[in-house]
Formats: sequence, structure tokens, C-alpha cells
Amino acid sequence: MPIKVHIPQAMRQHADGQASVDLAGANVKEVLDALGQKFPNIVGRIFDNGQVRRFVNIYLNDEDIRYLNHLESATKDGDVLSIIPAVAGG
Amino acid sequence: MSQDPTLERYSRQMRFGGIMEKGQRKLLASRVTLCGCGALGTVMANALVRAGIGFVRIVDRDFIESHNLQRQVLFDEADIAANLPKAEAAARKLRVVNSSVTVEPVVTDIDRTNILELSKDADVILDGTDNFEIRYLINDVSVKLGKPWVYGGSIGGHGQTMTIIPGQTPCLRCVFEAAPAPGEAGTCETAGVLAPIVSIIASFQVAECLKLLTGQPETINRELVYIDVWENITRRIKIAPLLGKVDCPCCQRKKFEWLEGEMGSQTTSLCGRNAVQISHRCAAKLNFEEMASHLKQMGGEVSFNRFMLKFTAEGHEFTVFPDGRAIIKGTNDIDKARVLYAKYIGH
Repeated sequence: MPIKVHIPQAMRQHADGQASVDLAGANVKEVLDALGQKFPNIVGRIFDNGQVRRFVNIYLNDEDIRYLNHLESATKDGDVLSIIPAVAGG
Repeated sequence: MSQDPTLERYSRQMRFGGIMEKGQRKLLASRVTLCGCGALGTVMANALVRAGIGFVRIVDRDFIESHNLQRQVLFDEADIAANLPKAEAAARKLRVVNSSVTVEPVVTDIDRTNILELSKDADVILDGTDNFEIRYLINDVSVKLGKPWVYGGSIGGHGQTMTIIPGQTPCLRCVFEAAPAPGEAGTCETAGVLAPIVSIIASFQVAECLKLLTGQPETINRELVYIDVWENITRRIKIAPLLGKVDCPCCQRKKFEWLEGEMGSQTTSLCGRNAVQISHRCAAKLNFEEMASHLKQMGGEVSFNRFMLKFTAEGHEFTVFPDGRAIIKGTNDIDKARVLYAKYIGH
């Protein structure tokens, strides 16, 4: 069973309009690399010089990867990876 | 149940075990500063005044337009005809709803020079703003003064909220380390917004406020709540472990960069040109192609090259530069220019 990656609305124009994709990878970085290979234009929306952009958070099964093991956090089949940027409107 | 006739109007709320008469009396003695009275703000102001919060300060810089009425629940067509500021129109409505509490409208642009004054007597600060510049200012003030605040944001069909108690929970900068660059987060003008998600997020914020004001911080939501009403998604992101884990400049190092003016925007009225320039201390790198596609969806004329992007909205010509700087023609009014910038470019 692959890892499900949820793509936020604001980034879907760079992912053929898809809300989620199933990908493989042993850790968060590998999964996001796989996402970037599938949709190259999304990479710049998530990363800046190899670092996750500071208003974008990555959650592995609803846990922030910053208190897990950052991009090296291990993933396993069935995990859910969510990319959630800050929401500005009000 | 109380025999006090002044409490009768709150009887159903007092029957709820989480409030009761003791809690209601605390609410009546409480003060809230509500920053922003747009979509989230009107829903919150309405609930706060009906719930009997003794003093509600409503701060907003904007006027009412017809496209606000779809979701900004305190306004109507007569308010537009009367050209009322949002804070004033909201206060007039709410005083009719509940004349026994104090509603103080403040028509001003919240910035680093006035936010301390607007917040220092509040028990809780509520976020009804539409931009991160003010949210980081609220966050700085909250941590500096040790006052709780509740973040809320909504766009399209989704929204987020989290509650911040300085020292007990992560602050906004622990969770979102930096503001999205101008043009990157999308705005309700460029991406649209549904009223139901606004009501849900604002209602969450008010519930949190009631818990805080009645002295029950142990009951607050300690997660980042994310809801999408269109895609049927509810997520509760565990953020509590971030407290002390990230080297937060605000709540860990007590560096109040937004309050002290090291971060944020600068505005200048361009003398003799009927224009205002807005620039950011933290330079952005705008994606003009993406911005143009959003702006075109709104039906406007948009053109760009690699040096600048031009578009017209509400009769104003915008010239935007790759670093986020913008010149807005057709006004010398800095507050108005900031409103236009937040609406169409976002920050």
C-alpha cells in the first residue's frame, strides 16, 4: 500500500488538479522527491533551496515533521502525508 | 438558576454546564479586542455580543462593499448606501442586539504603533484579519503581554484555526515560521471564499474565547484544526510538541520583530503622484505568471514582463515589482492602499 500525499488547493494547478496522489518512499524526503518527479512545477511551491518553505508545513499522519525527524522522518505503507500552507484570508 | 433578571437573556447559555452563572458573570466582566471585522470578524462579533462579553472592541480599517454581503453577516445594503465603515456598522447592529454590553468600534489600520494600545486591556485577542502582517503583530503582542489569542483563516472552501496561550502552547511563529510572501497565499479576492467555512472557523474561535474568558484554559483546543467543507476533510494536527522544540524568535527568544518594525511593510504616499508605494522589509520573489492567472480570473486587464506586472482593480492601477513592492495609483490614502494591497496581492 503506498503513501497518500494530500495536495493543498493552492498547489493543485501544479499537480494536474489532483487533490491527492499515491506515492512510494522510505522517508518524507523520498516521498516528496517522488511528488516532484511526477509534478516538477510543484517543487518550487514546497521547497526553497532544498528547505521546506517557512509558511508551508508537512504533516505525517497529522504530526508535524519538525518534531519527528524532519524530512528524514520514516514513512511506511498506508501513511498519509499532508502539505498544508498557512491560510491568510479572513 | 439565577434570579437576577439581567441574566435572563443568557439563561440557555448558563444552563450549559461549561458556562453556568459563574461563567456568565465572568463573560460579562470580560474584555475582548477583535482585530478585523470582515467575514470571520462579523461572525465572531455577533456571537461575542450575544453571549454577553462585557466589552467588545471591534477594530477594522475598511468600508463595506456589495461583494462583502455574501458572507459578512452583520452588514446590509443600507450600510453600503450610508458609506459606513465596517467597525461602525457592526457596532450599530450589535448595540440593537444587546444594549447591556459595551461595543467600541475603532476605525483604524492596525499597525505596530497602535496594537499595544488596542490590546493591553483585553483578556483575549481574536483574529478576524485577512493578512499575516497583522497576525504576526498580534502574535508579538500576545507573547509580550502574556495574553491569549485565537488565530483563524479561511479561503476557498477551507480554513484553519489554533489557540495560542503564551508559554503554554506553541505560538503562531512556532507553527508557521514566516508569513507567505506577497502574492503567494492567495486572498479571498483572488481565490474566492464560501460563507460556511467562514462561519465554522469563526465559531471555533468564539468557542475558544468563551473557554478562555471563563477561566478554563485546560479545555482549549491544542491542535491546528484544518477543515475543508467542500472536500469533506477535517484534520487535527498535533502541534503541542512544537513548543520549545523549534527555536522560535518570538516565544522562545522574545524577539518581537513585527512589533519592533524589523519585519512588515512600509508605505509611502508618493507626493504629487496620487499614488502610494508599499514595500516589504523581507523581500519576496513573486511568480508573475501565477499572479496574472489569478487576477485574470477576476476579469481584469493584466500584463507583465520580467520586471513588473500591471493590473487595474476598483479603478486603481497597480504596478507590482518582483520583490513585492507595489505602486497603487489613484489614491494618496495609505490605509486604502494597504487594503487594496491585502485584497489583490496579499501578504
